Amino acid sequence: MRWTVDHSSQEPLQHQIAGCIRRGVASGELTTGEQLPPSAELGVALSVDRNTVLAAYRQLRDEGLLEFRRGRGARVTSAGAPLASVTEAAHALIDTARAQGLGRTDLIRLIEELT
Amino acid sequence: MTAPGLSGRHSIYTGRVTNWPAVTLSAVLLLPLLALGGGSNQNWRDLALILVCVAGVAMYAVTGSSLRIMAGPNGVSLHSGILPWPRHTYHPDRIQRAEVIDLHPLFVTFGFWWTPRRTSYTLRSGPTLRLLLTNGRTVTLTTPHPHAAASAINDAKPSTRG
Repeated sequence: MRWTVDHSSQEPLQHQIAGCIRRGVASGELTTGEQLPPSAELGVALSVDRNTVLAAYRQLRDEGLLEFRRGRGARVTSAGAPLASVTEAAHALIDTARAQGLGRTDLIRLIEELT
Repeated sequence: MTAPGLSGRHSIYTGRVTNWPAVTLSAVLLLPLLALGGGSNQNWRDLALILVCVAGVAMYAVTGSSLRIMAGPNGVSLHSGILPWPRHTYHPDRIQRAEVIDLHPLFVTFGFWWTPRRTSYTLRSGPTLRLLLTNGRTVTLTTPHPHAAASAINDAKPSTRG
C-alpha cells in the first residue's frame, strides 16, 4: 500500500495518514483483518512522530474503521470497509462538483433528485 | 508532528505477505515431534534430540511465517516473522535501483534464501520486487504490489541523493 504525506501541507499529518488508510480500504489494497504497520516503524518511514501515527489510528478506531488488539496491533474491521468506500466516493464527488462550480446546496439537491 | 527540516511530499510503500508453506510445514512437523516427546518410555538423549528439533521448527515458524516490507526515501526495511528479529534495512545509498521481474515458478524459494550473489524471500511466482544493490547483489522479495514498491523506491532516489 502506498502512503503519501505532504509535510508542507496545511492539512494535519494525522489527517493525511488517516486519509491514506481510508483510500487503501476503499481501493481494496487493505482488506478486512489486515494488520497495519506498527506506529513506530511507520513513523520512521514517513519521518513523522509515532504519536502522530497513533493519533491517526485512534481516529479511525473511533470511526469504526480499525480495531486494536493487544499484541496484534491495529487491524481493518469488516464494518469499516463498505463505509470507507462510500466516504471515499463521496469525497471524489464533492471534489468533482467543486471543480464544476457546484456548491453544497446544488450537490444536495442533485443527490435528492437522483435518490 | 514532523521531523525538523522536512518539507514536501513523502511517499512510502508497505506490504505484508504470509508464508503459508512455512506455517503449514511447521504445524505438520511440530505435531508428531510433540507426540514423540510426550511418550513415557523416552530416554534423556531422545528427549533432548526431540527438544532441539521442536525448538528448530518453532524458530522457523516464528521467524519465517511472514515478511513485511517498508520502502521509501529512508530505504527498504524487511521484517520477517512475528518477533522483533530478524529484520534488515537496505539504506538508499546501497540501492542502485528497484525493478519488477516476472519470477519463474522454478525460482520460488518459499522463504529466506541467501547465496553470495543474491538474497531471496519469495513465496510465489509472477510479478516480484527485485532490488539491485550497488555492490552487485540482488535482493528478490515477494510483496503484494511490487510495482508500487519499485515506484516508491525509484521515485525517492533523486530527493535522497540531491
